[in-house]
Amino acid sequence: MIRGTVIGQVWATRKARGLEGQTLLLVAARDADGRATGRLVVASDTLDARAGDDVTVAFGSGARNVLRPGPDNRDLLCDAAIAAIVEGAG
Amino acid sequence: MFLGRVAGTVWSTVKWPEAKGTKLLLVRPYRLGDLPPGVVAADGAAPSEPTDDLVVCADTLDAGPGDDVIVAFGHAARVAVSEKLPPGSKPMVPIDAAVVAVVDRVEIAR
Repeated sequence: MIRGTVIGQVWATRKARGLEGQTLLLVAARDADGRATGRLVVASDTLDARAGDDVTVAFGSGARNVLRPGPDNRDLLCDAAIAAIVEGAG
Repeated sequence: MFLGRVAGTVWSTVKWPEAKGTKLLLVRPYRLGDLPPGVVAADGAAPSEPTDDLVVCADTLDAGPGDDVIVAFGHAARVAVSEKLPPGSKPMVPIDAAVVAVVDRVEIAR
């Protein structure tokens, strides 16, 4: 997973069927000192994260488990998802 | 997934049979500094050009050079290009990145 800050949202009409209904947020990755690395990630959101929120983003099967936990989620189209809204880090 | 702009196409004749008919695009990912705050429409009121290294992506949405797109990696990419697969079967295409959306609008609050 990575840690980052939500900086915006992306909208698309023409998209793969599996992406329908997903909220897609733009997340700016941060390094260990909290500075933005420059890398941007588009992540599915189920936690109602807002711009400015500090979040963690899970990738791969971890991301699918955010959308639908369990062994039968390999039909999901999701490779990055907001896994937590961070309240503190030390 | 990442947000990027289509920079060109790639074609080949020698490839795995499973990849036959797959259109390949070159996509340059946006980095944080490429995107100004505000609403960015896809119709040319664009952010500055993306600056990251190119990624080769399969495309089933008929995206073209200049389009802003979302690209998924890994299993999600194979799911995106295998929409006609029966439920429960495993997509076997030899790709690991695919265009999953053509972007209409990006809203950046920062």
